[in-house]
Amino acid sequence: MSEHSTRRSTSTAAAIAALDLPGAPTADPAWRLVEEGFALPREHEIESLFTVANGYVGTRGSLAEGCSLSWPATFVAGVFDVGPDAGAGPTLVRLPDWTHLALVVGGLRLTLEAGEIVEHRRVLDLRQAILWREWRQRDPTGRVTHLRFLRLASLADRHLLAQSVLITPENYSDTVHIESRLQWPADPGGGTVERAASGDGAPDVLLRTTSRGVVVAVALGGEMRTGRGERVERAREPGPRGVVERWTWYAGIGETALLTRLAIVYTSRDDENPAGAAARHLARARDDGIERAVDAHVTAWSARWSVADVRVAGDEPDQRALRFAAYHLISAANPEDEGVSIGARALTGEAYKGHVFWDTEIYLLPFYTLTDPPAARALLMYRYHTLPAARAKASALGYRGALYAWESADTGEDVTPSSAVAPDGQIVPILTGEQEHHVSADVAYAVWHYWRATGDDRFLLDAGAEILLETARFWASRGRLEPDGRYHFRCVIGPDEYHECVDDNAYTNLMARWNLERGADAARLVADRWPERWRALAERLGLSPEEPEAWRHVAAAIETGFDPGTGLFEQFRGFFDLEDVDLAAHGPCAVPIDVCLGRERTRRSRVIKQADVVALGVLLRDCFPREVHEANFRYYEPRTAHGSSLSSAFHALAAARLGDTALAERYFRQTAEIDLADRMGSAAGGVHIGALGGLWQAAVLGVAGLRLGEDGLAFDPHLLPAWHGLSFVTRWRGRTVSVSVTREPRGIEVAMEGEGPMTAALVGGPSRTIAPGHRYQARRLDGAWEAWREVDG
Amino acid sequence: MTPATLAPAVIVPLDGTVHATAALPVARGLAALLGSTPCIVHVGVRPRPPREMLEPLKLTSEQLEGSVLHQATGSPAAAIVDLAASRRHALIVMCTHTGLDKPRGALGSVTREVLRTAACPVVLVHPERGPRPWTLRRLLLPHDGTPTSAAALSPAAELARRAGAELTVLHVAVPGSEPPGEPGTCAAPRYLDQPQHEWPAWAREFLDRLRAIGRPPGEVPMRLSFAAGEAGRAIVEFASREASDLIVLAWRGVLEPGRALTARAVVGGASCPILVVRVAA
Repeated sequence: MSEHSTRRSTSTAAAIAALDLPGAPTADPAWRLVEEGFALPREHEIESLFTVANGYVGTRGSLAEGCSLSWPATFVAGVFDVGPDAGAGPTLVRLPDWTHLALVVGGLRLTLEAGEIVEHRRVLDLRQAILWREWRQRDPTGRVTHLRFLRLASLADRHLLAQSVLITPENYSDTVHIESRLQWPADPGGGTVERAASGDGAPDVLLRTTSRGVVVAVALGGEMRTGRGERVERAREPGPRGVVERWTWYAGIGETALLTRLAIVYTSRDDENPAGAAARHLARARDDGIERAVDAHVTAWSARWSVADVRVAGDEPDQRALRFAAYHLISAANPEDEGVSIGARALTGEAYKGHVFWDTEIYLLPFYTLTDPPAARALLMYRYHTLPAARAKASALGYRGALYAWESADTGEDVTPSSAVAPDGQIVPILTGEQEHHVSADVAYAVWHYWRATGDDRFLLDAGAEILLETARFWASRGRLEPDGRYHFRCVIGPDEYHECVDDNAYTNLMARWNLERGADAARLVADRWPERWRALAERLGLSPEEPEAWRHVAAAIETGFDPGTGLFEQFRGFFDLEDVDLAAHGPCAVPIDVCLGRERTRRSRVIKQADVVALGVLLRDCFPREVHEANFRYYEPRTAHGSSLSSAFHALAAARLGDTALAERYFRQTAEIDLADRMGSAAGGVHIGALGGLWQAAVLGVAGLRLGEDGLAFDPHLLPAWHGLSFVTRWRGRTVSVSVTREPRGIEVAMEGEGPMTAALVGGPSRTIAPGHRYQARRLDGAWEAWREVDG
Repeated sequence: MTPATLAPAVIVPLDGTVHATAALPVARGLAALLGSTPCIVHVGVRPRPPREMLEPLKLTSEQLEGSVLHQATGSPAAAIVDLAASRRHALIVMCTHTGLDKPRGALGSVTREVLRTAACPVVLVHPERGPRPWTLRRLLLPHDGTPTSAAALSPAAELARRAGAELTVLHVAVPGSEPPGEPGTCAAPRYLDQPQHEWPAWAREFLDRLRAIGRPPGEVPMRLSFAAGEAGRAIVEFASREASDLIVLAWRGVLEPGRALTARAVVGGASCPILVVRVAA
């Protein structure tokens, strides 16, 4: 190991070349999430919110130099491991902190917790997906150091992570030591990781997960240059758990140096020789330089935003919240990997261990289906590839077909624990893995709507139909025909998890019915249009011609709990007989209502954890008339305690569809605040990606009232009170449709690009065929829609 | 508050009643843990020869053993607080009250004034405790999740470390109330999407924040527990159930009517001594 330093006499500022970070932060406040100053207690939350990710890899927004409440983490999608406690299940592996940089000036380590913070600002630049940081620190001896950081996870090159830091000693000349430790954490995240190799050659660390045998290679490239164009030599010191790099620079007053670091991540999931792939990739990235990496990344995000951005006129916080949601949604998905899905906290934190729930299909998929169909397809292919595990689960419980895992990780096996210990010491039995079966219908729902929106027949033939058939087959075997002539689903848990082992949960039963019908539809469709494929598929699945048709009979006889007199679905059998607790009388509750009331009383009451029948209405909107939606929403909404972060978004969506825009606005903001106004620490373990997907749905499917039709799109706009306008872009069967809803004049405008005409319709109003390259407008006057007319575009 | 605030000077005010001597076993136990010598203080009209003080203070020679006796004159509360202030670090251990007419848990006038004016921590001992020996095995730290209250961690952890005692942090969620508005507060989770994931994540964050802000000395094992209900009652019930030997309570220094309801309830209901750590208002 050798250390070199550059030393020179102080020269005039004019002699120092201008060094700067590549690029500059976006100025528009509606594209910026800003954290001013430094509030130690919130640090874990900030780290989650300010994560940079690209669906392949995600790095929390931790301070490079660390602080006493830092939890730096980098996760790679799909890389799980099981720790010594096998019962704890697989956990996303925590990679070494490639961002770590310790700065030592004159023997003092620079930290926000020592000396005086002159200036400190972190900006998550949503438009460019770059985390910027501006920091001026006066250390205890009075030296002021100015640092500016950039960090990104490239969307253009998903294996590449980059960080730059610009260092300027403002009022002193002294030696600056920079040290970076790329080391595996002692606890990589619940799993255990064995170091397989390390040394002077690339990659810098190479590891093999203990239980899964996945090899992960991280190659680091670092370069430091001074404003005089001098290169500061790097010293490397391999250690038992990684590698330490050091730079030593004699800094003249006002002089600047730029340290640029590239990290390349590969796993044996992507390449049979991840070490070689990482080394080669790093060499290419070094040759290209960080400027090109930043440009490509920003260009990729710009392309993504051109479809994903939802623009709100009239309310900047709501606008920022929607962009924050879309930012994390884009960051969470990787259209190039069919072997992974999105966990409940995406790649932003360790909570939920990276496990995948129904949230992905019901709360996230619409965003991807309508803005990035390849990403949606990849997520659904994860469910296709995990069909064997779903079949095994169904079989183990005595059913046919496919029952998806309530909690799924890398293999699709159900990794839901059977119990948990609450902080009050009580052992809480966890029954969701055994009883919450609606996830199978949720997957089928996402498959069908993806196909309807994209017209991706190849997906339907290669994977989608099989999912629809196998899930339908599950429901046909799960229901029991009873003496009343109806099919019943006993002992299930619906989305309202306060009530366990209930009979005939309306959400479960009606989604099962829908799944059975779509399974039969899919069978008929494939048989009619692709008879060869159908024969092969039916043979492989052992499907007789009669079986899909029999599903229709089962579907028609499923108990729904619907009362035509009131228009209400009973959430489950006996629900209406439970104690009716007035939630409003309980006032603001700092904790979920089941904690306030106790589990037993909650179980015996009509208190609902989250949208259940309301969620059913959201998903199966076209199956029921408006009066039924209205009746059920008005009945169930006051009884919903929103003990789940998923709940408020669907209430915003449902309220907007009903035209109750004030209530929709309240729920919209409640959803936005789950992460952005966190005062409870719940974002510390990662952002609530399901709620963020729900927020997007509330705006596009609720406020704009977007509906998929057989030959186009329909709209039913209800702007929130504070919004003057709402604009967004959506994809429909290869076309790109731009939509703009305005309050004054009240109306809607659409424009379409792509191949062939399609229909644009207004709910309860006119429809017309629209052609590519043209713009159309409809106005609402005196409570009625006027005809669409073409306008100059 | 740093660990040093739990300081060697353990001051035990005695007013000549038998009730007051109930503080002595606790003071001895704390002094032993802190490597200190209990300083028995009596505030009288005029100083008397020390050997003549045993009987008026209802002390035996054995009770005095290992302690020093200090006499002061003037206002009792002011003299006690002045004595504590004269030491670099001090801890006052005294009974909640010594009068016969006071209900359990009520604060006597001197105790009340000491609590109101002393900058150092005060340990309140119920006179009903009597002369039983006191050992610290289980220590309870109620914490409302606010950064301000985290200041009570350091003395609690220091005592737990020295005693090898079990330190339990208790968070009580109060139904019908908003979580504290102080920035950086880690209150009970508002959302429990999946309890098997949410509770461990919340517990980790709660303790991480507490450690980062409270800066306990060294690695002291902590257990987090949770209860829902009226805070004071929940703390008292928990302490009783767990047989806590000491409750460490962060207190913002207000005793006006309608304020400090939790502290009042704990002082009134708990049977074990209570270490009151004054934190920023």
